[in-house]
Amino acid sequence: MRLLSLIAVIPLLFLFATGEVGAHAFLDHAEPRVGNKVAAPPREVTLWFTQKLEPAFSTVTVTNAAGERVDTGKARVSGTQMAVSLRPVGGGTYHVNWRVLSVDTHTTNGNFTFQVGQ
Amino acid sequence: MDWFGAADGGPMVATRAIHFAATAIVTGTLVFQAVVANPALRSQEAAAKPFRTQTRYVAWISLAVAVISGLAWVLLLTMSLSDESLGEAITSGALRDVLNLTQFGSVSQIRLALAILLAFCLAFERSAFWRWLGLGAAVGLIASIAWTGHAASTPHKLGYLHLGADVLHLTAAAAWIGGLVPLALLLGAGKHHQGRAGLELDVVRRFSALGIASVATLILSGIINAWILVGSFHALVITGYGQLLMLKLAVFAAMLAFAAINRLSLMPRLALPSADTQQDALRGLSRNTLIEIGFGLFLFAVVGVLGTLHPAAHLVQ
Repeated sequence: MRLLSLIAVIPLLFLFATGEVGAHAFLDHAEPRVGNKVAAPPREVTLWFTQKLEPAFSTVTVTNAAGERVDTGKARVSGTQMAVSLRPVGGGTYHVNWRVLSVDTHTTNGNFTFQVGQ
Repeated sequence: MDWFGAADGGPMVATRAIHFAATAIVTGTLVFQAVVANPALRSQEAAAKPFRTQTRYVAWISLAVAVISGLAWVLLLTMSLSDESLGEAITSGALRDVLNLTQFGSVSQIRLALAILLAFCLAFERSAFWRWLGLGAAVGLIASIAWTGHAASTPHKLGYLHLGADVLHLTAAAAWIGGLVPLALLLGAGKHHQGRAGLELDVVRRFSALGIASVATLILSGIINAWILVGSFHALVITGYGQLLMLKLAVFAAMLAFAAINRLSLMPRLALPSADTQQDALRGLSRNTLIEIGFGLFLFAVVGVLGTLHPAAHLVQ
């Protein structure tokens, strides 16, 4: 019955197992930071995710308060990072909408805002 | 928590479960032949011939099901990503994009090549070279599933650990659960032949050793996977992913209980001189093996769902 005793050990191992890692691509952080105000207009928006991304199926758009696109279109994806360049913008609130496919074939999406101005 | 609707829908869950089970059975059958049947049947040509014919059928059928379900998996994912019907997904270029521009697509093409190689090996299995190449292709076919799932997207150095653990987990699961199918065939044949208890005892001993190695690997790699995907006891308890994982562990524990009964109670009785005792033990082993196969198929269904769910770890961060 030694094998059976192993079964009882498994839940105990979970008790001691703690981790800070994740799975599926969720936003880890961004630059400009989520909800933050920056003084100078950024040249690009960069997002870092918790998982590796599929470039062909990962997109990000940035719009101004009027809903007009201010990004240049094609996002650059490398590993867990996705960036998109911005056209010259002025002050105001900008909305970032992202939709990504992680390498494990799961789609996630989200959005946040940042502000430009003094 | 909609487990069986899951994020990708019922057809995706069913397709994944069927694919995992079929791939595990073809791999487990070839592992069983190499590690258990061929050494045990070396001097038992009369028993070996019908067994080899039966396992050849099992290998061919499970390989065919693995290929068809693998193709269905690619098509379902393409439809899901493109939000198109089957016809549209094929003609719009979405299927081409998934195959050529995603890791899942690249791995799927490699796995199809491995399946074709395996088919050639099964066709020419009389040569030892083709048998060993076939075993390698089958192990590659099951192990490469790791690059299509959660382990593939874990970043940084932890990703290598996760992939390594998943490769071992998949291979060990195939060797044990997949190997139960040829074991059941061999034990079933023995029920109708008196005086074969020596052969069955040898087979069960060898499979038991394979099972212990597989179970040890499953537990070790499972702990690593759970640490990465669940992360804490709290996440194990409160998330749907964690609860489903506990169900998987409970089924695994039940399979271990049957394996322990086989090894500690029934296997020694095969060595006793009484023919009636041997036949009773053989019947018990056959029955338990079939029950274990049933549990194993249920496990693959659970795994089919788990892969489509958001793992627990990031949901409770």
